[in-house]
Amino acid sequence: MVKSPSFGGASEASARTPPQVVQPSPSLSTFFGDTAASHSLASDFFDSFTTSAFISVSNPGAGSPAPASPPPLAVPGTEGRPQPVAMRGPQAAAPPASPEPFAHIQAVFAGSDDPFATALSMSEMDRRNDAWLPGEATRGVLRAVATQQRGAVFVDKENLTMPGLRFDNIQGDAVKDLMLRFLGEKAAAKRQVLNADSVEQSFVGLKQLISCRNWRAAVDLCGRLLTAHGQGYGKSGLPTSHTTDSLQLWFVRLALLVKLGLFQNAEMEFEPFGNLDQPDLYYEYYPHVYPGRRGSMVPFSMRILHAELQQYLGNPQESLDRLHKVKTVCSKILANLEQGLAEDGGISSVTQEGRQASVRLWRSRLGRVMYSMANCLLLMKDYVLAVEAYHSVIKYYPEQEPQLLSGIGRISLQIGDIKTAEKYFQDVEKVTQKLDGLQGKIMVLMNSAFLHLGQNNFAEAHRFFTEILRMDPTNAVANNNAAVCLLYLGKLKDSLRQLEAMVQQDPRHYLHESVLFNLTTMYELESSRSMQKKQALLEAVAGKEGDSFNAQCLKLA
Amino acid sequence: MEVNPPKQEHLLALKVMRLTKPTLFTNIPVTCEEKDLPGDLFNQLMRDDPSTVNGAEVLMLGEMLTLPQNFGNIFLGETFSSYISVHNDSNQVVKDILVKADLQTSSQRLNLSASNAAVAELKPDCCIDDVIHHEVKEIGTHILVCAVSYTTQAGEKMYFRKFFKFQVLKPLDVKTKFYNAETDEVFLEAQIQNMTTSPMFMEKVSLEPSIMYNVTELNSVSQAGECVSTFGSRAYLQPMDTRQYLYCLKPKNEFAEKAGIIKGVTVIGKLDIVWKTNLGERGRLQTSQLQRMAPGYGDVRLSLEAIPDTVNLEEPFHITCKITNCSSERTMDLVLEMCNTNSIHWCGISGRQLGKLHPSSSLCLALTLLSSVQGLQSISGLRLTDTFLKRTYEYDDIAQVCVVSSAIKVES
Repeated sequence: MVKSPSFGGASEASARTPPQVVQPSPSLSTFFGDTAASHSLASDFFDSFTTSAFISVSNPGAGSPAPASPPPLAVPGTEGRPQPVAMRGPQAAAPPASPEPFAHIQAVFAGSDDPFATALSMSEMDRRNDAWLPGEATRGVLRAVATQQRGAVFVDKENLTMPGLRFDNIQGDAVKDLMLRFLGEKAAAKRQVLNADSVEQSFVGLKQLISCRNWRAAVDLCGRLLTAHGQGYGKSGLPTSHTTDSLQLWFVRLALLVKLGLFQNAEMEFEPFGNLDQPDLYYEYYPHVYPGRRGSMVPFSMRILHAELQQYLGNPQESLDRLHKVKTVCSKILANLEQGLAEDGGISSVTQEGRQASVRLWRSRLGRVMYSMANCLLLMKDYVLAVEAYHSVIKYYPEQEPQLLSGIGRISLQIGDIKTAEKYFQDVEKVTQKLDGLQGKIMVLMNSAFLHLGQNNFAEAHRFFTEILRMDPTNAVANNNAAVCLLYLGKLKDSLRQLEAMVQQDPRHYLHESVLFNLTTMYELESSRSMQKKQALLEAVAGKEGDSFNAQCLKLA
Repeated sequence: MEVNPPKQEHLLALKVMRLTKPTLFTNIPVTCEEKDLPGDLFNQLMRDDPSTVNGAEVLMLGEMLTLPQNFGNIFLGETFSSYISVHNDSNQVVKDILVKADLQTSSQRLNLSASNAAVAELKPDCCIDDVIHHEVKEIGTHILVCAVSYTTQAGEKMYFRKFFKFQVLKPLDVKTKFYNAETDEVFLEAQIQNMTTSPMFMEKVSLEPSIMYNVTELNSVSQAGECVSTFGSRAYLQPMDTRQYLYCLKPKNEFAEKAGIIKGVTVIGKLDIVWKTNLGERGRLQTSQLQRMAPGYGDVRLSLEAIPDTVNLEEPFHITCKITNCSSERTMDLVLEMCNTNSIHWCGISGRQLGKLHPSSSLCLALTLLSSVQGLQSISGLRLTDTFLKRTYEYDDIAQVCVVSSAIKVES
């Protein structure tokens, strides 16, 4: 069993790891008890991989295993034989009244003490998905791990990934707060959203929270599951280990933080992952847990997220640098595949079909990186390079050619180059002529509308947007844009009527922050009684939107 | 922007909103692969999001228009557009509403309202809307004065005004530089800098010459039959970027003679600049008349009428000089001497008399010379002596010629 030196023993651990005072988060402590000795807890977890002894986070002293929990639900993507670890549910005074009282917190961890079965189950799909080219230092460590039979491999603590939640409980609901302030307690009490307590404490519950747009609750649930894995609040900097699932949980948590616009929080929690190339993020680092398995545990999408996050923090150059590194690896892997080698340059043992599937996967990944780079350049306002980059993206996603060309046309409009925009829109027309169905025609009409906007012709633009609505009455963009044109034509009341009708018609889709921004701006222009109308919007939002709703667009604060 | 809040309760409310062009909403795409934990969820969320592009959800630049959220900046030459809304906040019918919008600058007061007629009546919760446009022609403080007068149901006449102050800033910095060519041509370099806060597309930068000159713009080349800008793919100017435009001015024939002896300040013409910013927001400026200080030629001026630009090494070539008597009264008796330099060797007779030259007239002289050094050579060594005043005028570096080895065929 490979142990990092910090696991060597309690005394050694204390020499390397300054004893951390664990501050259990106030809210989670009702579910998971005091963790007095942090080191022992971590090593207990690590041991659980191979010994499958019962471990209770809430009660380290507990001995007897809990009754056999139902097998964790298989989630596509998890491999190996998951090791169910049952945990006692909350017994301390927990607020009741959750629709489904849960008895188990299920953590699905990969791990097995049967190396042969695991080797056999390692599928080709995993191999091509997880392929990555580690840096030189990491390669050295992994080689050392592979050749060691016994004893510890020395790995500097700096090269290990020791993440932990950096804040807990962002289970806040901005909408509810606004309701309390403006509509009173009774109204606020009526707001019901799913939170982390109301769903199954598993991947299934997590997906439920994500799909109904209660992302704050989902972030919290990820936090709980990660805490069960030993990477909870205050565990940052403490020795730990990683599995496919724990990394997926981190990815989901960080992705949702980005979706919520909580970029600083995401950056804090990304920090222990370094540049996603540390040796303990590779399957080879855990030969007893994942015997025979190779590659990186880090989901590819996490690498994209890690790069893109920087541009939202105001460091777009850093984003580009990171994306370039990802692009380099993807290109190298594709080059290896095209030469008939395996992804990592070794001898290939796959069928022609398998190799083609791998090429397809890595080409699409390369395309995704190019897309990110183009977006980043756009954010940096380097329009010349951004347009070039979007042209490259068309090569990887030819089915998106009309949308990308339209996008480049809109970029030209944004810098004031109307003639070039016109040229691009004409190209879109040529490309869409071969398509059937409404989508192509709508794109052409949309572009014509934008062109007229660029020529200051709001009346014509309105006509085109309305034409789109005739073909597709549910087209939110055309609806919103037609209403905007009405305002510029001096028809405030008509514009308001159109937007309000849109919001009432299909609140689930149209209570979107950009539409609401427009609506509240117009309320403020219309009359001094805008506050009441905005509060009415708040009520509408309260009934439909999850906790991820960006309440700033209501302009109530 | 609002400076004076109303002092008494009025039945009508006046609201003003500047109408800069709307902006396009940008998304934050977050994706994952099928094998990841969320599966297709992230992609599904993006597809359901009405502000993403249908079929290309990862594209950040959407299609949804968002209204301007603040006043923004306004620059000289742009058009100030504003929505003016008068709303009946009360529950009684209001009569005889007159809305006037004026723009007060440091020098004048302009009326902006589209209509000057009073509206007969305004029911509760209804509004009178107007969109005003004005091309801003002055820099500095501007005040939009909106005045509303109305009569209540009881017959009481009411009146209130609101003031909205804003600053108009300078959009461009224009610097000009003149180059005098060996011939009568004058080259104008106009350096234009974008002083705004957004990227700017220069739609047109043209020089309107004064009556004395014809102008050729040198900012585009003909490539495969199409007119292509010399600025290449960099079609726009980022904030603080600079760009140089070049124009060639040739004096018209009827002024050509005069140009040779014009002294002092002459008026060249003015620059007409049209630019576009976000979504086609237009701006237009004209500079004042650009002036040029004519170079002093002294009493005698030597200029070139004809000279090849590339010649063969050590092969004689011809140039045509024009000698002008720039004085107003004196007839001159000039003697021409040619001095050789290291690279330039004159052929012909040096020291000959050119004959009498009357004031304000000129004569043309054909000369032959050759160069013994390759490369860009400067033609020097002509000396004109005024025999009466015994004054010699030296003419060096009057033109450049490119001398190539005779192995290369020179098209004559």
